Amino acid sequence: MNDADRPIMGREVSNYVGTTLREVEELVIVGHAPVAPHLCAPAGGVRSGALLTMLDNVGGLNGGLAALPDGWVVSTNLAARVVAVVHDGPLRLESRVLRRGRNSVVTEVGIRDEGAHDTLVASGVLTSAILVPENGPPRWERPVELTTFDVGAEAKPPIPEWLGVRAVDAHTLEIDLADELRNPWGILHGGVVASLVDLTAEHATGGGRTTDVVLHYLAPNRIGPVRATARVLGRRSDGAVVRVEVRDEGASRTTAIAVATAATRG
Amino acid sequence: MTAVYPPEHHLLRDLRFTFEHAADRTRSRAWMPVVGELCTDQGSARAGALATLVDVIGGGLAAGAAAPGWIATADLTLAVVGSARAGAVVEARAQVLRAGRTTVVIEVALVDERERDVGIATMSFAVLPRRETNPVADDLHASPPTMASPTSHLEGPLLEQLGLEVRDAAQGVVEVPVIDWSLNSMGAMQGGVVATVADAAAEAALRAATGRPLVVTDLYVTYLGFGRVGPVRSRVDVLGTSAGHGAARVELFDAGAENRQMTVVHAVATEAPA
Repeated sequence: MNDADRPIMGREVSNYVGTTLREVEELVIVGHAPVAPHLCAPAGGVRSGALLTMLDNVGGLNGGLAALPDGWVVSTNLAARVVAVVHDGPLRLESRVLRRGRNSVVTEVGIRDEGAHDTLVASGVLTSAILVPENGPPRWERPVELTTFDVGAEAKPPIPEWLGVRAVDAHTLEIDLADELRNPWGILHGGVVASLVDLTAEHATGGGRTTDVVLHYLAPNRIGPVRATARVLGRRSDGAVVRVEVRDEGASRTTAIAVATAATRG
Repeated sequence: MTAVYPPEHHLLRDLRFTFEHAADRTRSRAWMPVVGELCTDQGSARAGALATLVDVIGGGLAAGAAAPGWIATADLTLAVVGSARAGAVVEARAQVLRAGRTTVVIEVALVDERERDVGIATMSFAVLPRRETNPVADDLHASPPTMASPTSHLEGPLLEQLGLEVRDAAQGVVEVPVIDWSLNSMGAMQGGVVATVADAAAEAALRAATGRPLVVTDLYVTYLGFGRVGPVRSRVDVLGTSAGHGAARVELFDAGAENRQMTVVHAVATEAPA
């Protein structure tokens, strides 16, 4: 069986952001994603959380393929800089392996806007830990090609609605751990965590646009609700720097820590 | 006979750090007096100097958390949010966020004497099997509260003492020799020094691109290999610039080791924080 043909369970997040991925040469993955209205911020442009999800998708697949046949990967940290916040699309996603170690894979990831003369949109690094899944690593027909699947013609909800985000206070947002937000291993998808961090930074800074994120995944979110709390550390000429802590409230533990810069107007 | 690390004349002594480690090995604190030699021309401590403080306190804490295994630094991130000027003392408060079978993650908060945030940093480490040559973590926690001797001090600006020379500011090309003064315990360029070299390269390129006296305030350093031979040479791609800030991707190579790629760094430079 080719894992590209697996049931859609666990791939809803990739499908929501619309990423298609293709292995163009050994350990080089190129993908595409649309600038779809449901991914965009009210001011326009794809939200940084969605861009981070795309980076996690393309870098995660590449890291996983690099880990074969020993195992598969889980994301451990993602650091990215968004340099263009207005996009024409389609977006091209790129990943190459920087280092394959015994326990981890480091992939460089980037996004370019093909509709805007290949302008750089985001650049970063995804690090993943190698582990051996209970049923063994997934099997793929190489070169790998992953497409989106049809889930109906209805328009997709915008990201805050899709996540079911609710405000707890001026610095805190919370979501439930819905099935369609889980990855193939049954835990909250790393891209969803990134989107929650993005929205929480925006919420805590009064509408700031996230441009830089360093995100460390510390533990899986299995139970929920999942709560993100931001603390503004300081303000600079490029925006407010915030620390965001993500907790699985049902498991009473911290599951991720992020440092983000949110650009604010004026 | 095992050589003493750091040797008598070494960066880590001359920075005059002092340390305090919690007995449970989950938290450590370190203090760095800010002197003019550590500051940029805008008057505040250079991001690379702060990264060196983070690297030392984070590495020591991670080594204890990974015991009996050993560690290799995978990455270091730093966001500077406040200015630390000459005469100030920066305190680094490090805590273990995760100590797993294969990785250790550390967070380091940087504050000044008035509890104002100076910055925040994280480090990730791969856990490795211990080798005979690795220091023993117990020794790290039993070590004296400072590496400095009574005469330790910087004899000139940090970049000068490292021997860093800017070859092409617009392209962000700098060159630095690998010298005993700035080696780590494995005989390669110390991790904080690697961050400092990237800081200098990004600063040169982003100042050239913007025409503004920007200083580096964010560093995301991904360590790929050691710089053992030298000179270490940089290459910079300016990713984007806007009013008052810019972003760059920096690569460092060990030119003396067949130009082996050592490090990829994403850097952001802004107007100097208040």
